[in-house]
Amino acid sequence: MLEIHNLHVTVEGRDILKGIDLIIHPGETHAIMGPNGSGKSTLANVIAGREGYTVTEGSILFEGKNLLEMDPEIRACEGLFLAFQYPVEIPGVANLYFLKAAVNAVRKYRGEPPVDAMDFWELVNERMALVKMDESMLKRSVNEGFSGGEKKRNEVFQMAVLQPRFAVMDETDSGLDIDALKVVADGVNALRGPERGFLVITHYQRLLDYIVPDHVHVLVNGRIARSGGKDLALELEKQGYALYNEEPGRARRAA
Amino acid sequence: MTAVAPLFSDPYRQRFAAFMTNRREPDAVARLRHSAFERFTTLGLPTREQESWRLTDLNALQAIAFQRPAEAALDAGVLPTLETPTHRLAFVNGRFAPKLSRLHELPDQALVASLGQALLTHPERVEPYLERLPGLENHPFAALNTAFWEDGVLVDLPRGVVIDTPIHLVFYATGGDSAVHPRLLLVLEEGAQATVVVEYRGAGRYLNAPMTELQLDTGAVLHYHKIQEESPQAFHFGGIRVRQGRDSQAHLHLLSFGGQLARTDLQALLDGEGAHCNLSGLTLVRDTQFGAIHVRVEHAQPHGTSAQIFKSVLDDKAHTVFDGMIHVRQHAQKTDARQANRNLLLSKQAHANANPRLEILADDVKCGHGSSTGFLDPDAEFYLRARGIPVAQARALLVHAFANDSLNRIRLTSLRERLACVLADHLALDIMEKI
Repeated sequence: MLEIHNLHVTVEGRDILKGIDLIIHPGETHAIMGPNGSGKSTLANVIAGREGYTVTEGSILFEGKNLLEMDPEIRACEGLFLAFQYPVEIPGVANLYFLKAAVNAVRKYRGEPPVDAMDFWELVNERMALVKMDESMLKRSVNEGFSGGEKKRNEVFQMAVLQPRFAVMDETDSGLDIDALKVVADGVNALRGPERGFLVITHYQRLLDYIVPDHVHVLVNGRIARSGGKDLALELEKQGYALYNEEPGRARRAA
Repeated sequence: MTAVAPLFSDPYRQRFAAFMTNRREPDAVARLRHSAFERFTTLGLPTREQESWRLTDLNALQAIAFQRPAEAALDAGVLPTLETPTHRLAFVNGRFAPKLSRLHELPDQALVASLGQALLTHPERVEPYLERLPGLENHPFAALNTAFWEDGVLVDLPRGVVIDTPIHLVFYATGGDSAVHPRLLLVLEEGAQATVVVEYRGAGRYLNAPMTELQLDTGAVLHYHKIQEESPQAFHFGGIRVRQGRDSQAHLHLLSFGGQLARTDLQALLDGEGAHCNLSGLTLVRDTQFGAIHVRVEHAQPHGTSAQIFKSVLDDKAHTVFDGMIHVRQHAQKTDARQANRNLLLSKQAHANANPRLEILADDVKCGHGSSTGFLDPDAEFYLRARGIPVAQARALLVHAFANDSLNRIRLTSLRERLACVLADHLALDIMEKI
């Protein structure tokens, strides 16, 4: 469903990704691990279509379509979701209104009428329970004044409502205590299924105890240094990234 | 004093002579008009050498020979309504339009009337206020107003009178290069309360220069809304003077959407202990519109509080000015005064000037001010787009969120909802999608 071929990306003229190959089939969950600055977040942002990243070589296909030609909103409407590492606060836009606008934008793209108010409310309530979110958060402005854990839960909640075909989780575990981490992982696991793919980006093995991946890739200095099964994560936890003979943080500092 | 160029004052003098011919009004008022006119000729129209007029370009205004407005009939449908019972006074080209007005029963002694009528029926309650607009003595448009006002409004609420029904004052100008100088006088005696909505509208090119005096005695509470939706060719120069007694509350909302050049000068004097002054402004401008707010909040007595939040949204080549002064006199200890100015630029060619100022002579006060001008947050825009929301809608949503905050401060539901639609139209945002 997602095919990345020989992807090279520069940021402000510096090489960050230097030839990524990655194929994710429906129903699969892949984890990308790597030290700080290895290019993990760059990969997430390029998939989602954020400005400021230049693809100099290679391609990304999403369900056979050229993802790189699409605006970010089109990618979302095609079924792609990015759970942000740093969810943005948007004062004055209520969470519920934002969510309904998003749902209706996707429906409009598919040629469907706006969502029925009652149906929407039911869906929202059901999904809210999934991430143990309080109803009061719906009326609050998007992410404004939310704690780190609330922001990440809100990301998973949005994903649960939008029900994308493919989701990229960009360090969704960072800054979470173990209880919040479990809630987030439960939310993701509830959405896993034969039609849906996940790319879970993390610095720590801990998250992968709860979201058990089918494949693990180690990203070091803009390249996938090694791929393996879920046991690779445990190995990394024991041995660290030093084995890969790379000074951590190079890409970030270069950027 | 620089002599005023003859080319400038002569047409005004002729206009004034014609204006004074066959006027039927008390001699005292005629004398006031003459002295105000002489003051105007001495002051002249402002020039950009004067600090507070440095950023207001009057060249386009000066090129026009404004006329005394013609009589005009107007269809009631043209005028805005509040969809709620109101005491309503309507004015067309500065003249009272009884057929478009409607007053419900008022409490004993309360006066809501056209200024011209009130001058005939209750001269003793009007004349003391006409002499001058305190704090605006050196404002040329205030002098012009005292010389040329044809009509306006008197709201005089005696002690303890609370009027729940909003007072709706509508001014409409029909263009034709006319100059209109409405005069508004609101006196709330001790403990009186009122909600007032003033709307300025019109068609074509004209000058509207309303001067407003708001007096709040001890414990009075006023909710005052100025909605400026002048025609795109109009010039608007508004002056508002607020004088507050002890423990009074003034809540003023200044919403400015229209006009090619629109400026409001607002002076608030907190002249009693514990007075509270709450000012909120929203200016939306685009194309080559110019919108300016000049505010001076003066704390003269202890324990006063004032809060100002002025926002503007600028598109295309529009220009706004916010010039705000908080002045705390030496005697005004325990003052709490806040001022914020936020400008959102939607175009790289738009231009916002901000000049927040503090003058504090007391030593035990809390005062703060801040100003920011910037573009839409690209991270917020990307966040919305990454959820499927098209870029134009994402931007409109963010602008709406910025501006709607000012509307949410309005308690009068029907007005707030109507203005929300104005804002949504301005942003081409489908408000019906809103939950």
